Amino acid sequence: MNGYVEAGYVVILGTLGTYGLTLLARERAARRRVGAASIEASTAAGAGAPAKADILAPPGDASAVKHGAVEQAGPGSTS
Amino acid sequence: MRAPTRAVRPDRAAVTLRVLGVTALVGVAATVWLGLFVTPPDEFMGNLVRLLYVHPPMAWVAFLAYGVASLASLLYLWPRTRAERFDRLAGASAEVGVVFTGLTLVSGSIWGRPTWGVWWVWDPLLTTTALLFVLYLGYLALRRVPGEFDVRARRSAIGALIAFIDVPIVYLSVEWWRSLHQAPTVLNPTTHKTYVHGSMAWTLLLGFVSFTLVYIWLATHRYRLAELQDLEDTEGLEVALAERRAEAVAG
Repeated sequence: MNGYVEAGYVVILGTLGTYGLTLLARERAARRRVGAASIEASTAAGAGAPAKADILAPPGDASAVKHGAVEQAGPGSTS
Repeated sequence: MRAPTRAVRPDRAAVTLRVLGVTALVGVAATVWLGLFVTPPDEFMGNLVRLLYVHPPMAWVAFLAYGVASLASLLYLWPRTRAERFDRLAGASAEVGVVFTGLTLVSGSIWGRPTWGVWWVWDPLLTTTALLFVLYLGYLALRRVPGEFDVRARRSAIGALIAFIDVPIVYLSVEWWRSLHQAPTVLNPTTHKTYVHGSMAWTLLLGFVSFTLVYIWLATHRYRLAELQDLEDTEGLEVALAERRAEAVAG
């Protein structure tokens, strides 16, 4: 027929096909990662049911965790 | 803890998207079959006319994609309608638009070589289209500049609107300047005449419809990917917070 015509169709269909398949693969991989992260977060959360203050407290600061001092202490607070 | 999200479980939208994908695929296959094997060669262009069943649809989809990106950006900038989904939609649509603009330039160049004797000329239409490609590449780069979500989304939205100024310039460049590129021949706004008839017209129309469906399918998948990536960031943060919480309890 004409080399240029075939080349044009190959470039268009090839590019769109590759792009579409790449998107599908990336989406599938992201879905797997999100699913895994969800399970991981659930497992980690299942270890205890602390208050929001616990999340913000440094790991070693047991007193802050117990009394929720971090949550109550706002910026500039002297407590 | 966040419940399994809509993006994670298969739903009716996923089935609809699959049907759309299959329809688009069938449409493109039919366009290729009609364009390559059924339609007759053109009186002047011969077989090269077959490239024109796919080249104008590429340009149309690029314009459509940028139009959607601009509308979504406008909706994000307007405080009453501001929502993350509009920012995601703008990004997804613009990325697909860039792919189609690249294909417009390449397929036009492949058509131009045997027709004009050169791969590229600094013709107004070609130049403004190349500028459009670069502008939206810049927009995609702008979206990747780190920053707070709202700040990043707002500057991206403004970027998308600025880039869109070039779209009508591209479209009207063949009217405004003496251009090597032919004027619109499907529906000429000046002469109000249609220069494509019969099987050629139907094949071209099918090309427009099919590649529009391809755009919708691609943009939706790109949108879903962006949604998952945002969710992934949130989940990553939640995992880190939960670990801190567990450490705090254990300590």
